[in-house]
Amino acid sequence: MSTDTYGHRLSVFSDRNFKYLMVAPGILILLLVGIFPLIYSLVVSFQNITMTDVDTSFQGLLNYKQLFRDARLWQALGHTALITAIALPLELVLGFLLAQLFLERMPGRQIFVALLVLPTVLSPIVAGATWRLMFDVRFGPIGQIVSYFAGEPVTLLWTVNPSLVYPAIIICEVWQWTPFMFLLLLAALSNVDQSQLEAAELDGASYWRVLRQIIMPAIKPVVAIAVLIRGLDLFRIFDIIWALTEGGPGSMTETISLYTYVIGFTQFDTSYTAAVAFLVVALLSVIVTLVLRRMELVK
Amino acid sequence: MLGASLLALTPSMALAQAKNAAEVAVEAAKKFAGTEISIVWEAGLQSLDPLNYSGPKWEKLTGIKVKVVEVPTDQMFTKIMQDFRSGAGAYDALNVIPSWMPDLVKAGALEPLDAMVDQFGYRDELQDIAAAYRDNQMKVGDKIYGFPDDGDVMLLYYRKDIFEDPKMMEEFKAKHGYDLAPPKDWKQFSEIGQFITDKMAPKTYGAGFFRAAPYPQYMYQERFRMEGGKFFDAETMKSTVNSDVGVKVLQDMLADNKFMPPGVEQWNFVDNLANFLQGATAMTISWPPYGRWAAGYGSGEEALNWVPKTQVAGKVGYSINPLGRPELGVGFALSVSSASKNKEAAYLFIQWLNSKQTSLERVQLPYTLRDPFRTSHYESAEYRKLWPDAGAYLDTIKLSGEKGLLDLSMLQQDKYDEAMSKALSSLFAGTDPKAVADEMAAQFDAITEKVGADKQKEIYQAWAAKPGAYP
Repeated sequence: MSTDTYGHRLSVFSDRNFKYLMVAPGILILLLVGIFPLIYSLVVSFQNITMTDVDTSFQGLLNYKQLFRDARLWQALGHTALITAIALPLELVLGFLLAQLFLERMPGRQIFVALLVLPTVLSPIVAGATWRLMFDVRFGPIGQIVSYFAGEPVTLLWTVNPSLVYPAIIICEVWQWTPFMFLLLLAALSNVDQSQLEAAELDGASYWRVLRQIIMPAIKPVVAIAVLIRGLDLFRIFDIIWALTEGGPGSMTETISLYTYVIGFTQFDTSYTAAVAFLVVALLSVIVTLVLRRMELVK
Repeated sequence: MLGASLLALTPSMALAQAKNAAEVAVEAAKKFAGTEISIVWEAGLQSLDPLNYSGPKWEKLTGIKVKVVEVPTDQMFTKIMQDFRSGAGAYDALNVIPSWMPDLVKAGALEPLDAMVDQFGYRDELQDIAAAYRDNQMKVGDKIYGFPDDGDVMLLYYRKDIFEDPKMMEEFKAKHGYDLAPPKDWKQFSEIGQFITDKMAPKTYGAGFFRAAPYPQYMYQERFRMEGGKFFDAETMKSTVNSDVGVKVLQDMLADNKFMPPGVEQWNFVDNLANFLQGATAMTISWPPYGRWAAGYGSGEEALNWVPKTQVAGKVGYSINPLGRPELGVGFALSVSSASKNKEAAYLFIQWLNSKQTSLERVQLPYTLRDPFRTSHYESAEYRKLWPDAGAYLDTIKLSGEKGLLDLSMLQQDKYDEAMSKALSSLFAGTDPKAVADEMAAQFDAITEKVGADKQKEIYQAWAAKPGAYP
């Protein structure tokens, strides 16, 4: 082989793969940061590391078998699903209604929008702590207002009574995150083709028909993204519940994030926590894939 | 012979014979002048002791700087273990909750102190620590791993002005057939509580307790055992917290809420304190600081600004709890980390802190939460003059400490504690007591199984054999 031929081939190889060489460091870092912890966690989930015993020998499916016997884990998943199933549609519907309201030009619109968005700016732990004070049985304004209208002292134990504790969490969650939906949907509604709306109006189409056949198809991609983002956030809900109830009374409001935190960072069942984390990753992967397919965001 | 004996004395032993334990520690520690030691301390009021008082004083006396690592109570165990596991040796001296000691010793995180106790002549002064703490919170097996440093014990506080009101006394006796006085059992507690609520609510209710997690579990542990309950079958290690006694205790605890103020289910330590200090409740059970603050001791301290101004100073009586064996409830012991690189300096600091001389000063600090734990504290003429009823207060602490019941102490005790806290939280939310007891027993069994029933059996039997474990 002549030097020229070798040089030519090298040049062709370099030209063809230059782009890969450029992105290689980035991909390597991503792999190190993203994949390595995942693989390490997977390894840990097959060991038996706790706070007091560090047993790094291979334990087989010990921790994964325990997942199926752990009633508290499945209850926590149930609580997470319940909160997500109630809060997500509420946020979506309220966000949509607010967006519709603020779609029209009105005096002070910008100020109202800015005020509406304020809760989203707060840290969720602050929102939770604020609502804990609001719900306080002695000093909270909610109890006082209810008592005023009832005409007698009413003791509402929002963070203790099992029938009130979920409404308390949902109220706080919806209060904080409806503005996020509102903002996304306001942007989406603002971009709906006005000529189509005007044409439908001229044709005498009803509001519901316009909504179903013009508005919804137009804003569907944004709705899908908003639902996905908020759905994932709700699945990981932690701060608000920690501040409001710490998962109580008992474990009645313990979500999967709270439970993982407790076993991981207060009880230091490290290997079992890794197994729980993998269960959550698997569940979320399945759910996200199904949702994306359903919403036709990926084909 | 005499000459030989004198020759046998090491310099430190000679020093020990000449001075008290605090002075010995100071003299021996001077060789470490210019160094820094760290100590893990409960965050909040507790840590004002080493931050404002004992730390600066030790530095002045010895030239050793003290770095205080403030850690919330529920993270102390974890942080200590993390430091030990990493081998970093970031902590030299430790505050340890005695019920954790078996876990920490098993892991090797605590330094045995016997050799240094002898080297620095501290054994005699240890005998002054009240027996309940000395015999139960100092050793694991036959070795010393910590110096009991906090006389935590639950006391009953009651409003003397209400209990001694002639009209109330007369009506109570007419209704119940016995004198209105601090309750001797839980039936009397309920009757007195209900009576006062009926007469005085909503201004004053018969009683109030902290009901929010995690503290009610200490009251439960006491009441459960005093009514005849056992935590485990000592042979099988199956939990027996769902026995008939266990269910009855839960039923009774829940029933007591009926004569307590509305919303008591949400009360934490401060809510309960505030209500008692403002006169909203006539009885409560809590740790000793309530008694000091109710008397107004330390009311001018900036650090105690959060404590509501007492409306009941001079009106509060102190009594041992119903059935006469109160829970010792948490407590702290001073230990040395086995990962420390300054073990001797750390040891000398905790000997000095825990000594008769220094500890008497520390338990009188109004802004910290260290409670009297030595015979010399109970008898201190200086302490007895701090407020008019301080003598009665110390007598009650002494009596309660002598009769005190130990907290359950097993391997991975924090998990059993969590199970009890969650169970009581469910109970006060209205869950059926039998279901709560069954769930608690199931949780206990799951923890025992995971740790290993045989390992736990050995630990439990050793714990249960202690005089303060069961009445």
